[in-house]
Amino acid sequence: MAKSTSTPSYDSEGRELIVKVEGLQKYFGKNHVLKGIDLEVFKGEVVVLIGPSGSGKSTFLRCLNFLEDPTTGEIGIGGVHVTCGSRGGGFKRAVHEIRMKCGMVFQEFNLFPHKDVTENVTEGPILVKREKKEAAIKKAQALLTKVGLAERMDYFPSQLSGGQKQRVAIARAMAMDPVLMLFDEPTSALDPELIGEVLKVMKDLAAQGMTMIVVSHEMGFSREAADRVVYMDDGYFIEQGPPSEVFFHPQDDRTKRFLRHILPEKEPEHAKELGIVAVDQELPDPDAVPLQGPAGDALNEDNLADTAIPKIPLSDGPMGEAPLPPGDEKL
Amino acid sequence: MHRRAGFASSGLFAALLALVLTALSPVALATSSASPSPAAAAAAPKGVPIVLGVIPDPTGQRTKWSGDLINVNLDLNGAVLDAGASTVTVNGEQITLSTPASLVYLAPANPTLQMLWNDPKFAKGEFTFEISLVSEKGAPLQIYDAANNKVVDKYSWTFKSAGEASGGSLINFDVMKTWFWYIAAGSIVTVELTIISIALACLFALFGSLGRLSKKMTFKQAWDRYQSREYMFRMVLGRIPYWIATFYTSLFRGTPLLLQIFVIYQGAPEVIKAFGLPDTYNPPAFWSGVAALSLNYGAYLTEVFRAGIQAVPKGQNEAAWAIGLSGWQTQRRIVLPQALKIVIPAVGNDFIALIKDTSLVSVITVEELLRRAQLAGSASLNNFSTLLVAAAFYWALTIFFSFWQAKLETRMARDKAREKEKGKK
Repeated sequence: MAKSTSTPSYDSEGRELIVKVEGLQKYFGKNHVLKGIDLEVFKGEVVVLIGPSGSGKSTFLRCLNFLEDPTTGEIGIGGVHVTCGSRGGGFKRAVHEIRMKCGMVFQEFNLFPHKDVTENVTEGPILVKREKKEAAIKKAQALLTKVGLAERMDYFPSQLSGGQKQRVAIARAMAMDPVLMLFDEPTSALDPELIGEVLKVMKDLAAQGMTMIVVSHEMGFSREAADRVVYMDDGYFIEQGPPSEVFFHPQDDRTKRFLRHILPEKEPEHAKELGIVAVDQELPDPDAVPLQGPAGDALNEDNLADTAIPKIPLSDGPMGEAPLPPGDEKL
Repeated sequence: MHRRAGFASSGLFAALLALVLTALSPVALATSSASPSPAAAAAAPKGVPIVLGVIPDPTGQRTKWSGDLINVNLDLNGAVLDAGASTVTVNGEQITLSTPASLVYLAPANPTLQMLWNDPKFAKGEFTFEISLVSEKGAPLQIYDAANNKVVDKYSWTFKSAGEASGGSLINFDVMKTWFWYIAAGSIVTVELTIISIALACLFALFGSLGRLSKKMTFKQAWDRYQSREYMFRMVLGRIPYWIATFYTSLFRGTPLLLQIFVIYQGAPEVIKAFGLPDTYNPPAFWSGVAALSLNYGAYLTEVFRAGIQAVPKGQNEAAWAIGLSGWQTQRRIVLPQALKIVIPAVGNDFIALIKDTSLVSVITVEELLRRAQLAGSASLNNFSTLLVAAAFYWALTIFFSFWQAKLETRMARDKAREKEKGKK
């Protein structure tokens, strides 16, 4: 069931309520991924989601514009309200409206490889918003200038670097004039030297007052641009607050444990200040899949600490009581 | 982008189109060489057969005769002939034929009275042939001699043979030379069949694959999730394309192509009769063949297209949905163009296979390469030679189209290579 509410709510500072999520749950078959999530985001707010792999960050983001079909809950974005879990008459229409109000940027860019940069950006406005081609191209030009790719307009995605691709993807999402931008790990697939150019575009967007929900472990970006950081684990929002609070004075044990892994890598200076010892500089990304199969077989207890990171969350110590990888059970 | 489109339209495509257009009436080619002059047809009284040409041909280039075959090419002009009762004399002596004289149709409108004799001792020297025709009712028929513009009771001609043609050898170049252009014209029908059928097959495959991919979840999953009778009802309706497509691919991949050809050509009139429609209807052989070939290949290509669509990364769908494109817009603008590029090698492969499978429609009298080779073989009594000619044509056709297919694929590969190189930036 969907209905459009014409009376938006406002927060104490008089900012318009853009996103209102209530009791959002998502099952993949019997796998309970989101266990009841509430979120309010006001106009101009930048919310950063962090959390270990499998905690449901991406799923939550994808539920917001119905790339995943939420099992139950309420989603309201930009005045369009949808009750999930049923397929009532206006469902499709409301989903379409919500998708027009959300821009989404993917980890893997997902540019259309058979279309050049301009066509990638104008595809939505021309097909969905029925804009005139000339107007759409003019707008694309303005957006591409903004992301620093004005001279790449007739290139194909295969001729661009990862960072350039992601910036085109941001321009493509912005071309639909969204009220909310969703970023699903926008820098995770990029080489380290290319991350900066994408983050800069995102910071510019935030500075211009765009409402954003970002799944990212880029601490620098969060500290500079985020209004709120949300730590998510096991399908729940565990803890949220301003970045300085959540990063450096976390309250919940699970947040602390997670940050103990991620801080030394991402923010070595701060980690030192806080007395967090680098667990191991060789630590793979917490998002990496735990080693399994033949690789696991090659491990023994001596080098286990160096190579294998078992499933997060870990127990108290940095590496204590870690469950062994499957191949090691017989040792 | 533009360069590629230009290549497709200007080169291969234009050539194929021209081929189809010039050959759209396969019958015209076969008959044009032997069609009666309008004057002759006008001069001949109704019911008097007109002689159009003879073998051994006294006016032609060939000077050898093996003493085996006598052909009289006729325009029946309304007469009904009893071919078996017609007689022929050589040098005034009535000869005994090795098989009764019969009418064969080397082209549909081009009946030929064929007499087999097989007496090589007559291979050299001068021969005077004289034929007399008998109508179906047993009465002698007059014959119109177009060359001399008169009606005669017996038609006669003289042939001076320089000796035995190499009829006895297995590979007879004279036979090949004689029938070459007749068989060559069949290759045009073959190409026509192939191109029309593959085009229709791609169309069937497009809809078939979309039907096959229209199933998003099982009924049980849908019920568990939505618990809505109304939704389930709409889901049943939405499942119909999937069922049709599945039935289609299963049926046409599960039965032999030859059987499908017979069912469509011979079964269709019976079905029409059963529904009380005019029972004189006969399906055109050519289009029956096209129907069978395109339906059969469409079923195989359905699975190829399905795989091609599924090979397009899921992220492409999601990116399109995320900017608000509808399901159909996503398919048409984003997924299908990319899937097309993926399936081109497989379609090219099936195209090559189809060229050879068109030979199966020779069984329903479509005069393509194989059928013509068989007709020429029975007329010349040297099947091996004429079949070799047909084989050469099939081989040449596949080499020709394989060349273009390889060229097309190289272009694709080149694009991929460029992508790889630039992807590393």
